[in-house]
Amino acid sequence: MGAHDHYHGFVAAGRLEDLLRSAFPEARELTVEDRTGGGDHFQVTVASTRFAGMPLLEQHRLVNEALAEPLRDGTIHELRIKTKEAQA
Amino acid sequence: MSELSERIKGVVEREPVALFMKGTPQFVMCGNSDRALRALREAGAPVTAVDILPDPAIRQELSAAYGWPTIPQVFVGGELVGGADIVQELAESGELATILEARLGPGYREGAEERVVDVLAPAQR
Repeated sequence: MGAHDHYHGFVAAGRLEDLLRSAFPEARELTVEDRTGGGDHFQVTVASTRFAGMPLLEQHRLVNEALAEPLRDGTIHELRIKTKEAQA
Repeated sequence: MSELSERIKGVVEREPVALFMKGTPQFVMCGNSDRALRALREAGAPVTAVDILPDPAIRQELSAAYGWPTIPQVFVGGELVGGADIVQELAESGELATILEARLGPGYREGAEERVVDVLAPAQR
């Protein structure tokens, strides 16, 4: 894995984090981890009060919607999602 | 509606548990598909698998029909349960078995066997 891949991964992770921050401005915890360093396998974690009482399917749906563009354009090859219900 | 999307919907509606995955249970081609399959196996689910890799149209039609962008996708009793992370979380908390029992009946484990269905071929059965 070269320096270029590392840079690419860094940029992609930053883009994902920006998208998630604008979709979840209230998030108590929001992280994007580049799992392989290659910029296409990500683990995202979002803790939000909005998730309270919401079915897991709908929580993940909101995260998928926030990342619709990078999911569609192939930036994200593999996505792992962890949502948490934050207390108000 | 295209013939392909009719076949996809047919599998979702007809099969007790439908797993749209990369590869087959005998030859899994993706870590997330593997996690979903393992979670379903542990819960004793009767898995009917569809390999989405032979034609990109399968994934496009599936995602368009159910509004879910990633693979794998797990359906129980015709309803989307989620992808690998959700199914794994539900399996760990024991909720997956509860969902299977609620939608398929308490005897869902009996005679559970894994099948593979090809949605590119004309309807089976």
